[in-house]
Amino acid sequence: MSSDAPTVSDDAPTAGDAGPKIAAENVRKVFGRIVALDDVSLSVRENEIFAVVGDNGAGKSTLMNLLCGVHRPTQGSLFLDGRPVAFDGPDEARAAGIETVYQDLALMDDLDVATNIFMGNFPRKGVGPFSVVDWEETYERAATIVDTHLERDIDPRAEVAYHSGGERQLIAIARALAFDPDVVILDEPTSALSVDATELVQETVRTLRRNGKTIIIVSHSLDEIFGLADRIGVLYRGSMAAVTNTADVSTDELRSLMVSGERS
Amino acid sequence: MSTSNIVTRQFERIPERTVLVLLENMIWPILAVISLLILATVPRVFTNTMALRLMLFAAAPLGLVVLAESICLLSGHFDLSVGAIAGFSAVFTAMVLAEWNLVSNPVLGVAIVLAVGSAIGATNGIMIAKLGMNPFLQTLAFLIIFGGGKLALTTRPISDLPEGYVAPGGNEYVAIGILLASFACMAVVFRYTAFGQAVYAVGSDEEAARAVGIRTDRTIIAVYTLSGFFCALAGWLLTGYTGIVSPDIADDMVFSAFAAAIIGGISLFGGRGKLLGALGGVLLLSLVETALNVSGFDPTLIEVVNGVVLLFAILLYNTKESIRERVLSAGVSS
Ligand SMILES: Nc1ncnc2c1ncn2[C@@H]1O[C@H](COP(=O)(O)OP(=O)(O)OP(=O)(O)O)[C@@H](O)[C@H]1O
Ligand SMILES: [Mg+2]
Repeated sequence: MSSDAPTVSDDAPTAGDAGPKIAAENVRKVFGRIVALDDVSLSVRENEIFAVVGDNGAGKSTLMNLLCGVHRPTQGSLFLDGRPVAFDGPDEARAAGIETVYQDLALMDDLDVATNIFMGNFPRKGVGPFSVVDWEETYERAATIVDTHLERDIDPRAEVAYHSGGERQLIAIARALAFDPDVVILDEPTSALSVDATELVQETVRTLRRNGKTIIIVSHSLDEIFGLADRIGVLYRGSMAAVTNTADVSTDELRSLMVSGERS
Repeated sequence: MSTSNIVTRQFERIPERTVLVLLENMIWPILAVISLLILATVPRVFTNTMALRLMLFAAAPLGLVVLAESICLLSGHFDLSVGAIAGFSAVFTAMVLAEWNLVSNPVLGVAIVLAVGSAIGATNGIMIAKLGMNPFLQTLAFLIIFGGGKLALTTRPISDLPEGYVAPGGNEYVAIGILLASFACMAVVFRYTAFGQAVYAVGSDEEAARAVGIRTDRTIIAVYTLSGFFCALAGWLLTGYTGIVSPDIADDMVFSAFAAAIIGGISLFGGRGKLLGALGGVLLLSLVETALNVSGFDPTLIEVVNGVVLLFAILLYNTKESIRERVLSAGVSS
């Protein structure tokens, strides 16, 4: 469990030399007759913040869903730490250290915050087949996670349905951070957040990188991308139109890449 | 409101939560009120412990079918075939034991009845989870197939069943014990195991459950298998209760099963409710039925009363949901 304060180390990350942590090679994803992704390659280095941008329907979420095991590629392959992987479901991706904040959040409204955070991974007590969910531990750890990551007054025992759109987004983020993942995928994590909460999440992302994590973030906010990302990949109609260092691209160029697939 | 929003919100949250908890557990106050009403009008129901015991005895098979239905409902699914599974398993096993004379060992008979029910349930689950059948249509089809199937097996009652096969279900303590143990066991499973929580997750939002790594297909198949198992257990107890197996065994049980589950606080749309609440629902239905019987009410009208109770349960459910919505939106928008 990571409950580290944002002060672990302040070394500037050198995202340059590390090998790819997670990668997709020539992936294609088809839904019926819709080609959502066509021959897309992506290579995210260890300990970098990689932003994926693109117009609505460009295939960003589809790409994220391939990386976290929700979908399987129609063609092409995925790699984690250089080894090919074929996740048979999100549980396998989570077990491999990949946590995801989904665009639609994937929260279970009828259940309380703590249960949402630990669903699929409950703390247990007892031995072997006789182990049961340890509710005390569940609520305690949920409270700690909410405290350290959200700085908000969110009651772990309150139903998720109780919460506002922004609070729900924060709960989904807390869930992704609860298991000390190596790779964090964030699909538009700040779309419903206030300025304040957005800053909190961005700070959390920076902290994650300081702690050695690899982050992939989908965002529509160019400010956010320029403020956070080491590199940017632009999806245009299901293809990777460009991958660039953030320092080597201007806002206008990025906009143009997003809407036309060309740097103009 | 003149006070600051933040302050009022802190204060409002507590009663809100109480209201929600109360809504979830509404069955118990309702049960208390109905009991008092019955005590006032037909005191014999309560002064005679024999009547109460008989009531529970008679309620055991229905109780297990309610448990089966509740498990499905919690997972956000639906089972119209509960009664048909109970009836078919009982008739099929009775045929094996007393007509086809394939088996005479009562223990094997119990194993067969439970296996048949579980297998039918599992098939429901596989059709729904793997082949994408709509739960309503799938279980409707099985209601027709297995409801008709038992008539195809026999049109006259089967008697001469092995004593060891009928005796447990014919003993009120054993039957009541099985009912209570089943509910207690499932209540623990649903509260304390990853599987139980996965069922709530699937019932609340199947897509979300899948996204966080729940194997939703397996969960749904397990839910229907469990449901089939408890239906078969009900069919076996029913066999013991009557001593013979008539072809119309367990017909119409599905309606009471829905009524008891819903009045017990199990959500029609999954994800919320407690199995013990459903047991409360069973007690309520049986209590009402017993009171009507004892007071000499025309037995042919009891089905009508059950229908009224179901309607009442649905009305209650709607009111509950709208109160919940109001409480929640007040909580979020303040
Ligand atoms: N499960 C699905 N079934 C069918 N089509 C899908 C599915 N998921 C995505 N698509 C299609 O794939 C295309 C890409 O969708 P995707 O959600 O990846 O876009 P996006 O870039 O995330 O867009 P947005 O900015 O709106 O989130 C769209 O045309 C969409 O309709
Ligand atoms: Mg998207």
